[in-house]
Amino acid sequence: MPRYELCLILKAMQRPETAAVLRRTVETLFERGAIVRGLESLGDRRLPYKISKHDGRHTHGGYFTIDFHSSPNIVSGLLDHLERDIDVLRPTVLKKDIDISKAQCCGPAPEKSKHATFQ
Amino acid sequence: MFALSNCRLLLQALSRQQVTPSVRAVQCTRSLTSSQQEPPKKDDMPIKLENPYKQPKKTCILCNITVDFKNVQLLSQFISPHTGRVYGRHITGLCGQKQREVSKAIKKARSMGFMSVTLKDPQFIKDPDICGNTL
Repeated sequence: MPRYELCLILKAMQRPETAAVLRRTVETLFERGAIVRGLESLGDRRLPYKISKHDGRHTHGGYFTIDFHSSPNIVSGLLDHLERDIDVLRPTVLKKDIDISKAQCCGPAPEKSKHATFQ
Repeated sequence: MFALSNCRLLLQALSRQQVTPSVRAVQCTRSLTSSQQEPPKKDDMPIKLENPYKQPKKTCILCNITVDFKNVQLLSQFISPHTGRVYGRHITGLCGQKQREVSKAIKKARSMGFMSVTLKDPQFIKDPDICGNTL
């Protein structure tokens, strides 16, 4: 099963409410047959730009990441469900590929100044 | 004429005589002088060395560093502080692969709500300049 990463931006809320949102998100994942690998918090931050969502203009939010394995069929349904959740500002599901070690990272550095320089 | 032909004959005779004894003489002298009986070839052959003037391979600054969309501070070093635009390769000095990774990560971060589009996050403005050619 491919591995996905759900990056969630939640409304700035009190701790018990945030916990409740995360709980129901993970339960939704379980219902749809996903295997949740882990949940990480990236902290409460000021948003880089104001997000207008669910009748509100938001400036702060909580960032969370959920790592899970699931079949590809559920992804669109899951995103649809999360869009309807009023406490979620921006859900994004990304595919998480394990980094393949590249043999040669860099070749010779490119020529930096291509414009004419007077010397 | 006769003198010349005589000379030639003499030279030929001498050269014929000289070839064989000289070789033997050389071999004899070499065997007498050299203490360790090494085969004569190794003295002249070059010793195999790694090139002492070898330059280290040129790498870009992000070589062996994974670029992640969550690492906003790193990505902010490759955007303009005034407009938030991504710098081109001639400014950042990155290799092709890394430039593409950085560019993709910046666009991803912007759409996901991790990074601003039109400006550089104020807390990252004082970061050191790692792009070689920013004005």
